[in-house]
Amino acid sequence: MLVPMAKVNIVGHRSSLDPVLTSLHRASLLQVIDVNDDSGVRLPPLTIDDEDLAAIEDLRYLRARLDSLLGLLPGAVGPPLETGPVDFEELRSELDRTGPEIEELVGRLDALRREKEALPRHLESLRRLLPLLPDMSGLDDYETTALLVDARHAGVLGELNEGLTLDLEGNFEMVSDRIDPRTIGAVLIYPRHAAPEVQRRLGHEQVSRVRLPGEYETLSFREALVEMERRLAELPAVIENAEDAVADFVRAHPHWPAARRAVAGRLDQLGAIRRLGATSHTFVLSGWVPREQLDQLRHHLESEVGGGAVVHEAEVGPHEEPPVLMRNRAPARPFESLVKLLQMPRYGTIDPAMLMLIFLPLFFGMMLGDVVYGLILIGVAAYVRRRASETGFVHDLSRVLIFGGMWTVVWGVIYGEYLGDLGHRLFGIEPIWINREEAIEPLLLFSLAVGAVHVVLGLVLGIWQARQMKDRHKLGERVGMLIALIGLFAIAGAAAGMLPDSFMTPAIAAAIVGVVLLIAAGGVMGLLMGPLEVMGTIGNVLSYLRIAAIGLASVYLARVANELGVAAPLWLGVIVASLFHGLNLVLGVFSPTIQALRLHYVEFFGKFYESGGKAFRPFGADDTDQLRPTYQP
Amino acid sequence: MEIGLIAIGAGLAVGLGAIATGFAQARIGSAGIGAIAENPELTGRVILLVAIPETLVILGFAVAAMLIILLGG
Repeated sequence: MLVPMAKVNIVGHRSSLDPVLTSLHRASLLQVIDVNDDSGVRLPPLTIDDEDLAAIEDLRYLRARLDSLLGLLPGAVGPPLETGPVDFEELRSELDRTGPEIEELVGRLDALRREKEALPRHLESLRRLLPLLPDMSGLDDYETTALLVDARHAGVLGELNEGLTLDLEGNFEMVSDRIDPRTIGAVLIYPRHAAPEVQRRLGHEQVSRVRLPGEYETLSFREALVEMERRLAELPAVIENAEDAVADFVRAHPHWPAARRAVAGRLDQLGAIRRLGATSHTFVLSGWVPREQLDQLRHHLESEVGGGAVVHEAEVGPHEEPPVLMRNRAPARPFESLVKLLQMPRYGTIDPAMLMLIFLPLFFGMMLGDVVYGLILIGVAAYVRRRASETGFVHDLSRVLIFGGMWTVVWGVIYGEYLGDLGHRLFGIEPIWINREEAIEPLLLFSLAVGAVHVVLGLVLGIWQARQMKDRHKLGERVGMLIALIGLFAIAGAAAGMLPDSFMTPAIAAAIVGVVLLIAAGGVMGLLMGPLEVMGTIGNVLSYLRIAAIGLASVYLARVANELGVAAPLWLGVIVASLFHGLNLVLGVFSPTIQALRLHYVEFFGKFYESGGKAFRPFGADDTDQLRPTYQP
Repeated sequence: MEIGLIAIGAGLAVGLGAIATGFAQARIGSAGIGAIAENPELTGRVILLVAIPETLVILGFAVAAMLIILLGG
């Protein structure tokens, strides 16, 4: 159901503006709108004084600072503590004081983690080169450079040797060997004073030397190896200490998330001032409130600001469109997410969430239709539901799949399918109604019948809605379509011998009347579009054949799984059959979900759904302002 | 012989419809993913648009089923 909205004007003395905004923000019942939006009343906007402008700047700084600090702190984003009013001055000085400290702590932790990742790579290079490294004790005037060269470019070492022979007149030593199938290691030993020539030659031949991190550069390779191994062994404890320091800091500042929310809230309040109107002594605030909560808003404001402000219900302007709030009973609530996935419905139109609750899981079950698949699906979806956050899309989708799983079990019993035909093979279980593998014709006809009922229901809803909205054009169009469709169904029934022949003439008449009505409603374009729309709607009904088609694909894949399972030895057969059934279940969940959604979005909604509504966003409950941690340990 | 021809006809009806659907969905899908990357709120409408060409293969399936049921005996 779409909640009826009331438009209100809240008028108060300017001196009560601040408490009124604070109170409304806390109540989260009202969506504030620009006072001059279509209200017919023209008021000069309330100007923000210099003090408030400065406050906005300060608060923005605080919010950005808190965001960056909270983003750095793992585990700091939790349910905010209720700490009462926040002193923004004190908060600012606290942030200025402690900010650098936490930045340093987290920076150090990051550096340690990077070091822990990098050290093993350096160690590996050193270990591979070690057999080539000579003992350099007593050769203080000499320098060593290690090289790693891709084995495919081994020729470069020969060129380097020739180049250095020219440059240093042979006063150097180069040892090289293959250290693994893809790499050649080389070590150069040369007089310390010749280092610039060696570097130049290495640059010329484009050979890169093995570089050690800064703190190890002054050590010999052997010393560096020992030192790195020691450091790597001590790093886990050092990192743990640094993590403890960060965690201690988080524990010492549990009020920051609440402070961040308070800052954002105050910014919201000050931002709303621009949307208010003013006279010399009063302010006027306009907004939308769910009609059933209008009295609650009045009581709330009266108890918090007394006579400081009065709530008037205002006339809704002819071009004003209230925001949309969907409120359904618990089972239909997850389907609201699926409706919103398309677009919000317009205010005053039909909320299709309840209809989706009825039909979507039903279609899903008709397609998948297998008792064991249904039970597995219910189990998996229930597990996902427990793990997912309470309000997210995944949570809603898992609830939709639980309903789908229930219908899958029901249709599985009707079709007699337990892991395809395994139930029949092992226990001789027979279907209650039809065996989908054999009775294809009844299955197709049943799918078409379901489609006809669903499309006709959509048209009836569309007619009701067009009448409510006093849209004569749409009313004529939909009534014409309904009559034409009924006529065509009757023609098909009579032609197939399901209805007496005497039905044929009135059926043809009904189809003609329907098409004429459609053409009349469409004006000049109706001549072309009317018949085309009838064809399109017949296509819509035929589209429900996918219920049978997807179902058949699932049945045959399950059968293939069982056949393969029987063909192999028992243990192998069980594995192969399980793999195929697993694949079938994954496909069988994905495909019916998409197809059932499509049948709703295209075939069903197309007959009545009016999209384009704007969601209701009460002042003080802006969920886009939620904190998102950017840093995880 | 006749049954074989009916089966080939039914296979062609579904197969050609599926190829056409595949071509259409490939184009719509790639454009749709681009649109979602720009604006994730379009997800629902993109699913809808991607699903629309499937009618081609479903109609092919309807033709194939009619061929088999009505002519195949």
